[in-house]
Amino acid sequence: MNKLKRTLVIIVLFAAAMASEVSGTWSGTFKVRGGDHSTPQIIILKQDGKKLTGSAGPELGEQYPVENGQIDGDRVRFEVTSGEWRFSYDLKRLGPDEMKGNLELKSVDDKRTAVVSLSRTK
Amino acid sequence: MSVPHERKMGLRLRYDSHMHRLILSVHLSVALLGGVFILLLGLTGSVLVFEPELDRLFHPHLSYVKPRGNVLTLAEIGEGVSKQFSGEPIVAYLPSETADLSSQVILPRGIVCVNQYTGEILGMRTRGQSIFGWARDFHVRLASGDVGRIVMRWSGVAMLVSLASGLYLWWPGRRLGIGGGWRSVRFWFDVHNSVGILSLAPLLILAVTGTVIGFEDQASSFLGKLTGAGEASARQSVARRQTVPAAPATTSELISPQVITPDRAVAIARAQMPGAIPYRVQMPRYGGAYRVNLDLPGDRVAGGRNLIAIDQSSGTVIFSTRSSDLSSSERILATNEAIHTGEVFGMASRILAWLTCVIVPVQMMSGLVLWLRRKRHARS
Repeated sequence: MNKLKRTLVIIVLFAAAMASEVSGTWSGTFKVRGGDHSTPQIIILKQDGKKLTGSAGPELGEQYPVENGQIDGDRVRFEVTSGEWRFSYDLKRLGPDEMKGNLELKSVDDKRTAVVSLSRTK
Repeated sequence: MSVPHERKMGLRLRYDSHMHRLILSVHLSVALLGGVFILLLGLTGSVLVFEPELDRLFHPHLSYVKPRGNVLTLAEIGEGVSKQFSGEPIVAYLPSETADLSSQVILPRGIVCVNQYTGEILGMRTRGQSIFGWARDFHVRLASGDVGRIVMRWSGVAMLVSLASGLYLWWPGRRLGIGGGWRSVRFWFDVHNSVGILSLAPLLILAVTGTVIGFEDQASSFLGKLTGAGEASARQSVARRQTVPAAPATTSELISPQVITPDRAVAIARAQMPGAIPYRVQMPRYGGAYRVNLDLPGDRVAGGRNLIAIDQSSGTVIFSTRSSDLSSSERILATNEAIHTGEVFGMASRILAWLTCVIVPVQMMSGLVLWLRRKRHARS
């Protein structure tokens, strides 16, 4: 019985974590596959139902608008254009304060993929 | 490999010493194991050296314009693009640096090419991989991520070993010149030796600079230590923050004082760096401020590493990074890159870099022919 209760508590907590908003400030890095260093990321997200807005960039002083942001269960997807490169994030929530996933970077003559790791700071 | 066969061919080389045999084994092993990757480096490198020119060759209708009359302002160009693309926000402008090349406007979905004299939209380049992207991806990371990057950076080392061992093997005979018919071993041996020794210096330069780029993190840390602790403060000064009052605003800005035009931002940036040519203007919606990149025409090594960020309301310079602020180690790495790409002395060094890249397949082929002939002879 105790085992059942514990499992239920874990499920409820996990569901609550997944249901919690992604709104907030997230920081972390992305590393291009085949690249030699990690790039810092600060992402400020605002959730409105299944829609996501906000900004993202390498630092707080250099932020780019979040476009086409959407949340579907534990999947968080959005795009950012920093100029020549368009960043398409496809993240999975691993907990209330952690997201990991893939990033596709596209310019007019190049395409790269990267792995992203973010944790909530606020 | 058969020593008597070489003697019979009249090549009279001294393969007798253990050292010679060892070095020859190293030379052959490196070529057999790393040859394909070295070949890829040469082939893709030959494409990348002239990437801008080839790109324009493939997209002439998007690239070239006929110079006539006055050039439209960035705001006028942007207005036309916004109309055409249903108000899609402008991320940045790439003003034309020469009179006969089109200007470009970056939108989230792609880059629009515009005739800066007439405002005509020449077309849009959508985002995605092109042949040049593939070439770069193969050149740097074998188009296969982290593993590919490791393979390619060590291929540079393999090339260095191959060149050094080749020089050692060439030295005793010091053959220069080509003899025999093209089907003879002698012909291919002479081609391999003569082309190899004549192209040794540029090949060595490409291999060394390429290896440094491949191991840039380690090279950067090594150079940082070598150039001393004072470099740290120099690096910090790269992004020095300063407040510079802007020149008086124009009438149009007085009507709408909240946001200065991109043309005004360019004027402010140019005043900060007289003689520099702006090649990129990023809009404040993207990045929080106008970011104007400028190219110093006389500085081929780091001339494009100038950035001036301008507040969109007040027109004040909120920060600037200048190529002159680069630390010694950053400048060494920038020079290394300029040598590798051939940019360092302009067109002459780019042509030399291209020729050197093209020589790689010649050396690989002559080496392979030699190896196959010797293998066949050894079997018989």
